[in-house]
Amino acid sequence: MPHLEISDLITATDPHSGARLPVRRDEVIRRLHEAGDRRGARIVEALPADRQGVLDPAAVDRLMIDVHTELQRLSEELRIGERLVHVLGPLFDAIRATAVSAGGGTPLRLVDIGSGLGYVIRWLAAHGALGPDVELVGVDLDSALVGEAGRLARAEGLDCRFVHGNAFDLPEAATVYVSTGVLHHFRGPDLAEFFRAQAASPALAFCHFDIAATRLAPVGAWVFHRARMRHPLGRHDGVASARRAHTDETLLHAAAAPGMRPLLYEPRGLANPFCTTLRPVLGVRPELEAPLRRAMGRAARRLVGPEQLGGAPR
Amino acid sequence: MTALGGTPAVALALAALGLVDSAFSGFRAYAGRDARIRKHRAVARASLRGLAVGSVLLLAPVLTACGVVLTAADRDRTYATLTEGGIGYLAPLACYASAVLLSLAAYFFLPFRASTLAVVAGLGPLTLLRPLVIAAACVGSFVRGGGVASLLVGTVAGAAVLCVEPLVHRHWYSAALRSDPTPASVPAGA
Ligand SMILES: C[S@@+](CC[C@H](N)C(=O)[O-])C[C@H]1O[C@@H](n2cnc3c(N)ncnc32)[C@H](O)[C@@H]1O
Repeated sequence: MPHLEISDLITATDPHSGARLPVRRDEVIRRLHEAGDRRGARIVEALPADRQGVLDPAAVDRLMIDVHTELQRLSEELRIGERLVHVLGPLFDAIRATAVSAGGGTPLRLVDIGSGLGYVIRWLAAHGALGPDVELVGVDLDSALVGEAGRLARAEGLDCRFVHGNAFDLPEAATVYVSTGVLHHFRGPDLAEFFRAQAASPALAFCHFDIAATRLAPVGAWVFHRARMRHPLGRHDGVASARRAHTDETLLHAAAAPGMRPLLYEPRGLANPFCTTLRPVLGVRPELEAPLRRAMGRAARRLVGPEQLGGAPR
Repeated sequence: MTALGGTPAVALALAALGLVDSAFSGFRAYAGRDARIRKHRAVARASLRGLAVGSVLLLAPVLTACGVVLTAADRDRTYATLTEGGIGYLAPLACYASAVLLSLAAYFFLPFRASTLAVVAGLGPLTLLRPLVIAAACVGSFVRGGGVASLLVGTVAGAAVLCVEPLVHRHWYSAALRSDPTPASVPAGA
């Protein structure tokens, strides 16, 4: 049975025009029933729809913003900002130190794909964590979230911006692409395509954080979302996403895009399942690997390629 | 600790725990409702709201205890019984509070990897355990010899602290706090 996330089903966007598409409530309910998810179906039954059974887009937008606002609390508690800087700091140091960055003083740019309310980008901007020479941009398919992320950034006077766009047709060029909690949304050939598009761009690296597929992940997600989130949709999707998390092997295989060296930071065999709730799969231009390892110091031990993972205990 | 001699200390410890818990409840009622990055003042305000609501609600067990003592045939004995019950009530709460304190210390003072452990294995599950700990405290007060009177006061106290979070949430934070979209809040150059 596939594990479905309600938030993926109740919003639909035309991938080319970016236009919002109508979503029929009974269609979402049918898909959840087919997946054996009665609880999810009940949550959707309670959402408002018009006489034709089309979900009320304004209510869906409000709900998405509310759920992502609650979701941000988890990112705050798990110190996602620090977690990112732990890897991105050395990565940008390596980029600055390498000749490949000598592109005539072009500014460095970090683009967060599927940025939601933009917590990561706004946190990095608020803390000046990557240095003033790194431009910070968030991209998301959901225009309501993009709008709210922009408003939040302006309200706090943060130097970053948010744009509406699709991960498979990225509107923003980047030095480094990142994401948090997005990879498990992409299944099958889409996952490899996601990495391939970035590898085919001029970007020097990508660094995508997602839930580690440990046995404890769904239990941990249940406890955590139960304790921290009020809306049943957030609780439902939180557990579903832990169940959908990709294995280390799947991620490394998919990230092996032409021109990129795939690396996994803190694979399952090397880390405590409690501490590795979210960890990244990276792709770096081959000439960046050595400077990155140098910049990471001792932490570079936790960075493994496909050849090392083959021998690591599962 | 002799029952009578220890009464003020037990009462004080229980009141302190109740008030600290109320402040945390205020924080929890607010957390997840405000997506800004810098929100120390809002956190402090929410904790104070919890403290204020808790202070009022915790008058209920105090009044219940006073009522029980004043209407008892043997006030001294009832007073002593309630003190015993208070000690029994305090024991599970003290264990719980120590675990929370330990997790919080780990969360704030250890590096991010260990702090994740403090959150995922400590603070999250501990939040879910709160009602069970209060139930254990009620049982503790009874088992320790506090009798029905302690059970009554303990249950009222437990209900009071469990109500703080929903009340603060309903009153101040039932909707997500959206940022102010008016142009006045947009700093130049942002
Ligand atoms: C689980 S949320 C994570 C949000 C945010 N990164 C965080 O950590 O809180 C997944 C996000 O990915 C976005 N998303 C899904 N598919 C996308 C696509 N094809 N292109 C861009 N964003 C996408 C969704 O709109 C949603 O905001």
